[in-house]
Amino acid sequence: MGRPLVHRSPMPGLGLSAGITLTMLSLVVILPIGALVLQGASFGIAGIWDTIHRERVWKALFLSFRISLYAALFNLVFGVILAWVLARYSFPGRRILDAAVDLPFALPTAVAGIALTALYAPNGLFGAAWKDHIAPALNIALEVPAYILNLVAVPLGFEAFVFEVPPRIAYATPGIFIALVFVGLPFVARTVQPVIHEIEREVEEASATLGASRYYTLARVIWPMLMPAALTGFALSLARAVGEYGSVIFIAGNKPLLTEIAPLLVVIQLEQFNYDNAAAIGIAMLVISFAMLLVINLIQVWSRRRIGYV
Amino acid sequence: MKIEIDEISKDFGSTAALTPVSLSIPSGALVALLGPSGSGKTTLLRILGGLEFPTAGRVLFEGQDATNLTVQERRAGFVFQSYALFRHMTVFENIAYGLRARPRQQRPSNPEITRRVTKLLELIQLPDIGKRYPAQLSGGQRQRVALARALAIEPRMLLLDEPFGALDAKVRKELRQGLRDIHDETGLTTIFVTHDQEEAMELADLVVVMSMGRIEQIGKPADIRARPATDFVRSFIAA
Amino acid sequence: MSDFAAGSPANRPQPQPGINPNEARFQAPTDEPLLLRWSLIAIAAFFLILLVFAPLTAVFAEALSKGWGAAVKSLQSREAISAIKLTLLVAAIVVPLNAVFGIAAAWFITKFDFRGKAFLITLIDLPFSVSPVVAGLCIVLLFGANTAIGAWLVANGFPIVFALPGIVLATVFVTFPFVARELIPVMIEQGRAEEEAALTLGASGWRTFFTVTLPNIRWALLYGLLLCNARAMGEFGAVAVVSGKRESATTMPLRIEMFYNEYLSVAAFSLAGLLAFFALLTLLLKTWLESRHADALSASRRGH
Repeated sequence: MGRPLVHRSPMPGLGLSAGITLTMLSLVVILPIGALVLQGASFGIAGIWDTIHRERVWKALFLSFRISLYAALFNLVFGVILAWVLARYSFPGRRILDAAVDLPFALPTAVAGIALTALYAPNGLFGAAWKDHIAPALNIALEVPAYILNLVAVPLGFEAFVFEVPPRIAYATPGIFIALVFVGLPFVARTVQPVIHEIEREVEEASATLGASRYYTLARVIWPMLMPAALTGFALSLARAVGEYGSVIFIAGNKPLLTEIAPLLVVIQLEQFNYDNAAAIGIAMLVISFAMLLVINLIQVWSRRRIGYV
Repeated sequence: MKIEIDEISKDFGSTAALTPVSLSIPSGALVALLGPSGSGKTTLLRILGGLEFPTAGRVLFEGQDATNLTVQERRAGFVFQSYALFRHMTVFENIAYGLRARPRQQRPSNPEITRRVTKLLELIQLPDIGKRYPAQLSGGQRQRVALARALAIEPRMLLLDEPFGALDAKVRKELRQGLRDIHDETGLTTIFVTHDQEEAMELADLVVVMSMGRIEQIGKPADIRARPATDFVRSFIAA
Repeated sequence: MSDFAAGSPANRPQPQPGINPNEARFQAPTDEPLLLRWSLIAIAAFFLILLVFAPLTAVFAEALSKGWGAAVKSLQSREAISAIKLTLLVAAIVVPLNAVFGIAAAWFITKFDFRGKAFLITLIDLPFSVSPVVAGLCIVLLFGANTAIGAWLVANGFPIVFALPGIVLATVFVTFPFVARELIPVMIEQGRAEEEAALTLGASGWRTFFTVTLPNIRWALLYGLLLCNARAMGEFGAVAVVSGKRESATTMPLRIEMFYNEYLSVAAFSLAGLLAFFALLTLLLKTWLESRHADALSASRRGH
């Protein structure tokens, strides 16, 4: 036998702390997740596949993942900008913006859901502005690239292109996107911000003394340093978005096949006491989140191996 | 390259880091800026490198006013106290960085970059570490890589901020000779900042003793030892 | 020596150099151009207004759309009051549970060396990557009336699903890592030396904990509890699944959904406003902790 399971230590409380930790962990996390996995094992991979391969389930899973990906990508770009602005610049109102970044963590999702719906619904403040002014203006502006493209495309035998922005935000996929951006907003910003604080100014100065322009420095020196943290935040924000329920169901419209997300299907199946179907969809979502967890860990291992820190 | 510092002063807010100082450095000299912390020596070096802008006064390179040159335009090889190596790049990419950052017309070809980096790695006597990351190097190796990186841009002068500050005594001595050799080989005007009077006296052709943002004395090491100009210089070099 | 030193300025032909007008315009090599800087600030402010400030304002505006009286009256309805009571009760159970678990887990992980520590930490963090709806589903599958355990519990008068214990369990699940992940980095940083010193001086284990450890971790503990409490009061997905929309098991967020679906806008937004007010209070306390007690928090919470 090699290393002992627990090294001897003069510290008191081993039994008590280990006992509480392992009991709570088993009761709250391991047993319930185990129940789901067992349920899944009882009808096998083929059974799970049959359930999730039905059109309504498949579309819901695909919709959840697709819009979550868009939202996480938006948050990746916006979060890095936000972290940079908050860490590096001083301007009036900086502290308020900084505190506001955490609001999506603190504000209950149901509250966020009804508030976003109130704003972005066709009769809400932003929704009405979009429907009556912004969307028509964008559609007119989009006629220009469509016209230019059609100059080439139509003689080549393609059908004429028409670009149009969606007419409504709430009760359609753009609404889901906005809700998912909201709930994932803090992840990238809050993982990247401490890394920016740790960058030594001398490294940036070194780049400048070697003749690099500021943009070159940002792209070749600073971005590679921020990337592991940004990707971690991206994966966290994606995982959160795929599983998000509360903020989305109010704004989505929940039309089957069109704007119905996967977590909502779980709830619907449970309300109809279809435990097997609910479990199958639940397992599919669990697999997605475990895959995401794995990705996060791989990013950190890769980053640590390459540059000695996360 | 001949460097002249003409009545340079620098204020940070209400505190004066440099009261007007003037200094002329002949081409090819190896100069030490010597003084305790807070004496303004690093500020002066950073002004020469274009990292700070003087509140008043001018910097002249070969008699030409260089005060308004940006840091990129100055082409000063700058070695930072922490070395400031790029942790996510290999040693090779660190040294090649300044060449790759050039605008397309002036950028050397890839084989040419490889040739130059290899030559620099030989110059610092570490020919085999190109593929390693900075985290895998010793302190002394990092310092030499930082020096090679600064030399890669074919600098007009070499500026070093406490180049031996973070090293233990034994490595320090070795690298002193290394800097001397590289200076003699390249003929670059070289200015380094140090708080260690022994280091300044042993290595430099010309020592500039600074205190409280002023120049106390300028001279050859032997002259400063023999005839300290002020009480401060006398007590500082005795320490 | 004279060939090195510059002559005194008075002897020079050129005018004495004065204050440099360019100093103010000098762009430090670590700064972005002014235009880029302000564009980035504008982008940050624009989207935060659109996504954060506007919805927050909307909550209060909708709640007060028929005046203070209507909002306050809607909060005094039987449904609203029972939801508020239940939410406070759940938070009052979950937060202390999490405190005990978080301290125990952090103590176990930081004061002892054992195999599988990294795996244990991963397990503790696991609830963060599981969808709350799936978390609720897991609890229903374990304790629901159709399972052996669930049926036995119901028969013995202790139903878990569709009742308070299920809501508590679901809430503990989603808030599980909050306290532990605030305490672990702080306790790693502080090391074991102080506790070891106390023990050599003859203090008992509990005395060491209360007089040495707890004072050192109290701000990080408070920080974790704050986040835990905010999530506990606001959790929707997991609780929605286990409560089954039973009247007796309706927390504030669930009641908001019911009011909203019944087109009781003022009632829904008033209750939402109350939760938003708690959220703002949480942020205020959190900001205060970050600025006042930064050194007692884990490294990623500092740097403001």
